[in-house]
Amino acid sequence: MQMQTSLPASLPNSLPAGFEALEPFVEYWAGATNDIRWDRRARASMAEIRSFYEAAVPRADEGLAYLEQFPLDAMPDDATRLLRLLLSLPHAAMAVEFHGQPRAAASPFPHGMHIGRGPWPQGW
Amino acid sequence: MSVVDLPKPNTEFPKLTVPNGLGTGPIPIAPYISQAWYEQERDRVFGRAWLCMGRVEQLPEADSFIVKEIEICGVIALITRDAKDQIRAFHNVCSHRANLVVHETSGKGSRFVCKYHNWAYRNTGDCIGVPDRANFFDLDMKKCGLTPIACETWEGWIFINLQKQPEVTLTEFLGNFGEVFRDAPAPAATQAFTVDVTSMRANWKVTIDAFCESYHVPVLHPSTLGDTFANDSNRYARPLSGNVRGAHRTMTTFGNPNYVPPESSLIERLAYSNIDTGNTLGANDAADMQALQNHPAINPNKVPNWATEICWLFPNFLIFYSPGGFFTLEFWPLSVNTTRWVARMHTPVAADVRQRFQQEHYSCRMAEIFLEDVGNLERQQKAMESGGKTEIILQDGEFLLRHSIETIQKWVASATVREALAE
Ligand code: FES
Ligand SMILES: [Fe+2]
Repeated sequence: MQMQTSLPASLPNSLPAGFEALEPFVEYWAGATNDIRWDRRARASMAEIRSFYEAAVPRADEGLAYLEQFPLDAMPDDATRLLRLLLSLPHAAMAVEFHGQPRAAASPFPHGMHIGRGPWPQGW
Repeated sequence: MSVVDLPKPNTEFPKLTVPNGLGTGPIPIAPYISQAWYEQERDRVFGRAWLCMGRVEQLPEADSFIVKEIEICGVIALITRDAKDQIRAFHNVCSHRANLVVHETSGKGSRFVCKYHNWAYRNTGDCIGVPDRANFFDLDMKKCGLTPIACETWEGWIFINLQKQPEVTLTEFLGNFGEVFRDAPAPAATQAFTVDVTSMRANWKVTIDAFCESYHVPVLHPSTLGDTFANDSNRYARPLSGNVRGAHRTMTTFGNPNYVPPESSLIERLAYSNIDTGNTLGANDAADMQALQNHPAINPNKVPNWATEICWLFPNFLIFYSPGGFFTLEFWPLSVNTTRWVARMHTPVAADVRQRFQQEHYSCRMAEIFLEDVGNLERQQKAMESGGKTEIILQDGEFLLRHSIETIQKWVASATVREALAE
């Protein structure tokens, strides 16, 4: 069910100008699908999750404001990458804001549960 | 529902079990672990009930199709929508040497060609092509169509029945549920984000039961759901109303009206900062949600602090209506102790990036909650199979589970479906 992305994981100037400070997080945290973003967070250590969360949270509102100029299903590649990166924040927030650990206590990992398609319009 | 005296502080929750005509005794564990019982369910429940396949919107246009597997009965159903929008179901099995015809799980096409020897079928089921037909023996193509499965729709929901001649119509099967839920809205039905569990190690009833009582919510989901489903006025998440509806059943669960994300939950607060329903456990818009709340059977007592109306269609399909959205869950037995299930969360197509961000948060949270359930249920199945207990005990708020098992027992014991449906 996991969808392939045509975007390389990371490129020079892979994020829009102004968001260079988040560049080190792109490769791991700008996962192409909801399911990949979930899986990456579940596999990360709490220190890794916190370091992403603490770097990206202060830029989140600004990032969403920047992305508002594009139609959701027709963004340039660098904006798509920023969107995917920001969409990992809710996943990181599950660990930081809800569980206080990378995964919910006593929930299985690995497991056979997957987010299929969605949310929309992208389906990823 | 009468108000009865209950221990403090909960003094205003209706009794559900006895007023709905259910027993109060313990429930045997055998149906959750016994192979013999599983086979009875296969023949008498899944083999005879109308089974909900989902929404017509899953066949979004003329000549769409989906394939649904009913593993417990070994059936692979091909459901088609033809050019005139008629929906039909067939066994996805070729009339030549019985190979699988359609390999995809969904798609578009008015005709299907079996990839073994190229026999071709229209989506009406007719056989329209047999290569080298002259080399067969008196082949009557009219008799070579796909084998139909009884299929009916109700209010945009597709049902099939695996009996060759269903003993009762879908209307009779739905009974009171079909009457009171007529015209219930299905917001954002054209798309869903899905959560798929291809196989987990628990009986299908163990699994579905966990989605039909809120007693466990403060305990099992303390950080993901706890504060939204219980508060000091309802510490044990007691239901607000519940009704047995023929073979089916519905229940209104409590939502904490005072829940707001804590100060420290920066992303939860950002995600929900611009949502117009004010609901932090959903993703639909206010107009859709108002339409749900206006329906007389959804939250029938119209209490402001409701979280969900759970509609349990016998035997294995759940429709959830909530102030935050609309979703379905379906549970398919693979064996006595393994289950496949699918959640379809119907959320609108995001209009902007902030709504999309909020939907990611919603999908994350739902997946976390479901995963907490999976781990818990696999442990429960193992414990049930250990033989340490032979019975389980149900409380009043677990009345949906009691009605489910009582109804299954009745279907297993009944020689005919009409007898199983009799009051
Ligand atoms: S089995 Fe289908 S064409 Fe032969
Ligand atoms: Fe649960």
